[in-house]
Amino acid sequence: MIPPTGPAPTRRAPALAASTLRVFDLSLGQMLWSRRSAFLGVLLGGPVFLAAALRLASMSDGLGLTTARFVFRFRSQQVAGDAVFGMMIWLLYVRFIIPILGVFYGTSLIADEVEDKTITYLFTRPMPRSAVLFGKYLAYLVCTVLLVLPSVMLVFFLVVPTGGSAIAEAFPSLVVDLGMLAVGLTAYGAVFAMVGTHLKRPLVIGLGFALGWEPAALLIPGYLKRLTVAYYLQGLVTHEMPQDSAMSILLQVVREVPTTATSLTALSVIVVVTLGLAAWAVERREYVLEQ
Amino acid sequence: MPRNTRSAFPYKLFVAVSLTTRTRYFVIASLLLLLIGVGTGLVAYYVGLPLRVFQSSVPQELRYVPADASLVAYANVHDVMSSQLRQRVRRVIPIPENGQRQFQNETGINIETDIDRIVACLGRQGSPGGAGSARGANGNNVGPQSGLVLARGRFDTVKIEALMRDHGAAVEEYKGKRVIAHPAPAPPTGEGFALAFMEPGLAAIGGTLMVRTAIDLMTGGSNVTSNAELMSQIRLLADGNAWAVGRFDDLRANAKLPEQIASQIPPITWFSLSSRIDTGIRGTLRADTRDAEAATNLRDVVRGFVALAKLQAGNKPELQAVVQSLALGGSDKTVTLSFSVPGEVFDAIGAAARPPGR
Repeated sequence: MIPPTGPAPTRRAPALAASTLRVFDLSLGQMLWSRRSAFLGVLLGGPVFLAAALRLASMSDGLGLTTARFVFRFRSQQVAGDAVFGMMIWLLYVRFIIPILGVFYGTSLIADEVEDKTITYLFTRPMPRSAVLFGKYLAYLVCTVLLVLPSVMLVFFLVVPTGGSAIAEAFPSLVVDLGMLAVGLTAYGAVFAMVGTHLKRPLVIGLGFALGWEPAALLIPGYLKRLTVAYYLQGLVTHEMPQDSAMSILLQVVREVPTTATSLTALSVIVVVTLGLAAWAVERREYVLEQ
Repeated sequence: MPRNTRSAFPYKLFVAVSLTTRTRYFVIASLLLLLIGVGTGLVAYYVGLPLRVFQSSVPQELRYVPADASLVAYANVHDVMSSQLRQRVRRVIPIPENGQRQFQNETGINIETDIDRIVACLGRQGSPGGAGSARGANGNNVGPQSGLVLARGRFDTVKIEALMRDHGAAVEEYKGKRVIAHPAPAPPTGEGFALAFMEPGLAAIGGTLMVRTAIDLMTGGSNVTSNAELMSQIRLLADGNAWAVGRFDDLRANAKLPEQIASQIPPITWFSLSSRIDTGIRGTLRADTRDAEAATNLRDVVRGFVALAKLQAGNKPELQAVVQSLALGGSDKTVTLSFSVPGEVFDAIGAAARPPGR
């Protein structure tokens, strides 16, 4: 039997969404099993290791291996487990890990391809150039979210019950924390993706922004802090800001907390605008590969 | 640029994301971990988990405390009495021991050595199912509040019973337990007080009806461990060797405050104090408010007071360490204030209280 013949299929360029998902598919594996992910593992293993150490200390007490009853202490203060968890969220995740991940991954989305001189292979494919950016950004988001959130989950279950707090009571704040961290990764990733597409040496600028500009702007009274991601992200943190240093106390004094709605709106605008600018740059910029 | 094994990229439309095997395993493992965590949290939040799974020990005596207690307090007397702080306080601020010695002569109880720990509570007279149940139209207990102290230690039961008989107490049987009831009216309820030995080494002292309620709870009925809300508060405090937790709105309602004063009090639902006494006193005051806004307001008020205290302590070096240790915390509807009183503070207070020339 002869199959019915029809007109020869025409080959069309895939749509933006389909191309984005293809790039995502390709990039996720690369991102996960890269040397950068080893660094990420170390970065995220730190809080888990710390939490496990606290848990072990507590368990040894429960077995009667230590004479004094185990309690968390912070600057000689007795602190409940949920407060320790709150401190870890503030000091380790919000102030350090999330911005640093944003810098290292966000700035490298396009910059790595340029540095490795492989950007040509991607840009010569019959698909929108911005799909490369969006696909890689999506891969960054999935990669970091799948690493950061389980790390936070482990820290929560290791730390919270040990200090005398209850899982049930602290659980709603964990859910908020997971959402907040995901939003933080989204926002920082978008900002640094834009930096990576516009600048030639984006890592230094990114580190300067995350570790220099943001903490400094938060300390200055007035409207300058609204030009940071941290200002809006901190509006989503439910834990009390720790008073761990003179800097933190100063931060508390000048702290002005935006409402949750304001924070979410502002972060959404930041993501859309910066990703839009990054896509615009990728579409129009001519990347000159160094020989 | 390394390539995937599949050749489809990107020349045909996306059908499904097909990750490499190890990437797929990683994604599955990560999502599984998240799901297990969230699931466990949800079960803990909505159903509650058995106490011992995620919980440090709570005093066993709580099973004799009525479920509707509005205040529960605990002190590890042995820890406190043998603490370095106690020795230091005794050294710098000599306290006359006549009263303590008289108490020992009359009861045979040496507070320093014979009592291990105490649990105290304030509850309604005649809790559900208990002696003297009195219920209002809405089913709530309407009796006046009364206190109960459960002391764990070593007691000379014969001597104590004889002493109370000498002072007019009468012994009665209640559900197989000897209740030594004294008819003298005791504040605030005006009812008599009683003592019963619940089990070897555990004495219950308090209002007669409260003691009977505790005996009722030996055979069943809901004790405070079935009060999930109160127990969640107690779990937060269990690491201290002295703590108290109470339902603030309940206590305020009983205080019958004038409306002008009552309206000024922040809408606190629960309050608690947890402290650890060893070389000094370290503790945390905690208040749960009706909503997050009230907590923010309360936090602002406390922050103001802390700042004022820091200013005032400038010319009192003995208090500076205490004031500097004040740390405000909490999140959402919770406000906490941590403090630390080093043992040296008591040296300074003792020196200041001592008459000049000594």
